[in-house]
Amino acid sequence: MGTASEEIDQAGEITTTDALIAWLNARDEAGQALTHPSVRLIINDEIAPGCSVLKPGDTIAFCPPFSGG
Amino acid sequence: MPPLIRIQTEAFDSGDLLNSLAGAEAECGAVASFLGQVRGGKDLVALELEHYPGVTEQALARIASHAIRRWSLGQAMIIHRVGRMEIGAPIVFVGASAPHRRAALDAVSYMIDVLKTQAPFWKKEHLTTGSRWVETRADDDAAAAKWLNEKQDEIA
Repeated sequence: MGTASEEIDQAGEITTTDALIAWLNARDEAGQALTHPSVRLIINDEIAPGCSVLKPGDTIAFCPPFSGG
Repeated sequence: MPPLIRIQTEAFDSGDLLNSLAGAEAECGAVASFLGQVRGGKDLVALELEHYPGVTEQALARIASHAIRRWSLGQAMIIHRVGRMEIGAPIVFVGASAPHRRAALDAVSYMIDVLKTQAPFWKKEHLTTGSRWVETRADDDAAAAKWLNEKQDEIA
């Protein structure tokens, strides 16, 4: 956390976004912020509706709530 | 006709945009639009907007395409600025043309309501006292939910 992006080598072990968040939480105290309900996920440049299945090589963006217009 | 989607840093002329909707299609007797501007007050100096290049354009195209299908629009457009904007400057223009007024008005309401919470933009307020990120307002969420909860209204 606190970095713009990083690569995680957990292919095959983390298979959903919920599992990824849990893994980040366990590693890093600031990871708790990702469990906030207003956090939005964008996976491989597609807005994800909620918890999603992940496969090796996926790019996941954790976004603060949208505030356009 | 596909929607016109534009994300840009430079200001736009809402009159030009409205004129391009009006008169473009003879069977469309109704043109409706919404213009959002930077609201002054409470120590605000300027707004700064960020987006997610590629993803934001796609989200806007999806919203406008859905509006075209649902309300049988002649045309739909969403022009949204990013970067720094001073008080009174235009931020967003949403427009629609349709054969009749109700379709055009509802389509514009739908597009701006859904855009506010479903398209990846982030807004920072620059105040005389510092700066802060804007959080989603509960009534914005409610306005979007009103459209998104309608069964026939799946955005995808």
